[in-house]
Amino acid sequence: MNRKTFYLFVGPSLIMMLVFIAAPLISVFIGSFYVTRSVYEDVTVESCTPGFTTQTCTTEVRRKPIIKDNGEVLTNTVFVGLDTYRTLLQPERVKRAFTQGQWLEPFRTIDFYKALRFTVMFTLITLPFVLVVGLSIAMAVNNCVRTLRGPIIFVSLLPFIITPVIGALSIRWLFIGDGLITRGLEQLTGQDISMFAQGWTIELLMLFYRVWHVAPFAFVIFYAGLQTVNQDTLDAATVDGASRWERLRYVIVPHLQPLIIFVTMIHLMDAYRVFEEVIGFSSEAHVISLQWLTFDYLTPDDSGNRAISRASASSMLTMVGIIIILIPVLRRTWREHRTGA
Amino acid sequence: MASIRLNGITKRWGKVTGVSHFDLEVADQEFIVFLGPSGCGKTTTMRMIAGLEDPSDGDILIGDTRVNNLDPKDRDVAMVFQSYGLYPNLTVYENIRFPLKVRKVDPTTHDDRVRKAADMVELDNLLHRFPRELSGGQRQRVALARAIVREPNVFLMDEPLSNLDAKLRVSTRAKIKHLQHTLKTTTIYVTHDQIEAMTLADRVVVMNKGKLQQLGTPKQIYDTPANTFVASFIGSPAMNLLSGRIEQGHFVAGDARIPAGDIQNEGDITLGFRAEDVEVTLDNDATLVAPVYSVELLGDATLVTLNIDGTLVAAKASKDFEVEMDQQVGFRLAPESCHWFDAHTGHRIDG
Repeated sequence: MNRKTFYLFVGPSLIMMLVFIAAPLISVFIGSFYVTRSVYEDVTVESCTPGFTTQTCTTEVRRKPIIKDNGEVLTNTVFVGLDTYRTLLQPERVKRAFTQGQWLEPFRTIDFYKALRFTVMFTLITLPFVLVVGLSIAMAVNNCVRTLRGPIIFVSLLPFIITPVIGALSIRWLFIGDGLITRGLEQLTGQDISMFAQGWTIELLMLFYRVWHVAPFAFVIFYAGLQTVNQDTLDAATVDGASRWERLRYVIVPHLQPLIIFVTMIHLMDAYRVFEEVIGFSSEAHVISLQWLTFDYLTPDDSGNRAISRASASSMLTMVGIIIILIPVLRRTWREHRTGA
Repeated sequence: MASIRLNGITKRWGKVTGVSHFDLEVADQEFIVFLGPSGCGKTTTMRMIAGLEDPSDGDILIGDTRVNNLDPKDRDVAMVFQSYGLYPNLTVYENIRFPLKVRKVDPTTHDDRVRKAADMVELDNLLHRFPRELSGGQRQRVALARAIVREPNVFLMDEPLSNLDAKLRVSTRAKIKHLQHTLKTTTIYVTHDQIEAMTLADRVVVMNKGKLQQLGTPKQIYDTPANTFVASFIGSPAMNLLSGRIEQGHFVAGDARIPAGDIQNEGDITLGFRAEDVEVTLDNDATLVAPVYSVELLGDATLVTLNIDGTLVAAKASKDFEVEMDQQVGFRLAPESCHWFDAHTGHRIDG
């Protein structure tokens, strides 16, 4: 392919990527180092109240935002360096807590670490479940009668098709105070059950919801992979004396290895941006995620200000987190790529 | 070491019958080849012996044990596959060691046994490679080493040479023959290639449409085919088959009249004869005379084809034999090289 054709093909997507990915990223990156504030001025105000002989007058100095001629508040943007990151990460408080031996303190009291703790845990715990459940469904479907496969594939895909927030809401309604399942469980155990009264039960439901929602994706990918397993190799393993489990371990899983890495990467990126669960389960009071933190900063406060700078910083930190969490997988893929595996 | 006995084994999938009422006795240390066109049930039969398919009916005995209900791993057989069936993520060494590993054989013996097996198929300098770094012939040798490392009672080979090129096929064929001779392991070998069957087998099983056609040594199969299917399947070119009838001690097909020798039954019959049993002449007193349909130089011989009453019959002449197309040529046929088959059942008729 000559150079011109190459650019003609690649050009459009390159431009799209620059406009829709690179540019926002850079603007968020820059934005995280600046703070935009309204400019205040000190105004001396003398206010008088009518008195008997003379007026009683007091003078006070008030801080007032400067109003521009067109009625808007005058703002200026200043470079603050890493100040915003400092506000988020609170290094002094962390240091103090650590020197006092209270290792868990920051994860309870500082929003960012609270969110980080949940996000990382959520990502790492759901991953093995998604892989194992996905592979199990794929194997089950692959081993079942041909005529049943279509309906089973359709049913297993449903959770994946459902809009995430709706899915989360429906699980919430099943388990809420007078929800169907809660009532059932209460009848069975004779105990009062409130799944939304404490953090850990909410987290449990969130993990369950995510695995339920994403496992069908892993299933479809793995099921496709299973269609190309070399039947001769499987038969050879059977005759060689490998049990069902050994065949899975030595033949099927190595064959699916590239797909497992693919699903792992997609899931890590996806789960680290966990957000719908927090909204769907209304868990803000107990459990928050990094993505929700960004959302929270972007929500206007009572006086209508959005903390754009902190939101930028928090999304930059989220991105850094995703990169760190992907490094082991990427390194492994790169090594295998170089050895030509 | 073990004998194998198949008693009326049958394989049906719904209404389709893959193998029907197949009986066979294989002696200990024997090399048996299943030969037949694709879809004739030979691979299915082998897979039933291996335990990869369950027979719908009948018994399979290895040694004196009925193995129908045993898992493949408990039958003590080793199998070699057409597409090798190697483990792509394991090295050659680990591939060969795999059966020992999963069977929990004493790990201290592994190294010795793997090296011995690799040595037998001349793989010793490739042990650290991965299957993807090997040629087809080397891969098949890995599969062979993996089969022999366990010293099983029975070898099953499912068209092991079909994916190799012609030259490699000859040398690997010799290797398999030599291995079987050294190890003296009962072997069943499936192929659709009659040369492989002829060169390797102690006895050949010719199959068609799930049924046994003939069981015999390569020489028996070649010299006295049991029916028209075997006759037309074995030999290159295959045996010529002419439909005709017997009239007053002569075989008549179109204008051709051939003395029928001992054959008494009047009526429809099929005559078979091999291309190399025919003497090709330019004399007009030959048994069959017709214009030449085609002449092909094979190198060591010339193949002359005539069109007799709508059927093409071929004969081998010496390589110096020269003839023009459409020239009249005669085939001279001795009565003892004629094979007679029932026109309806296809069975051999011995005079």
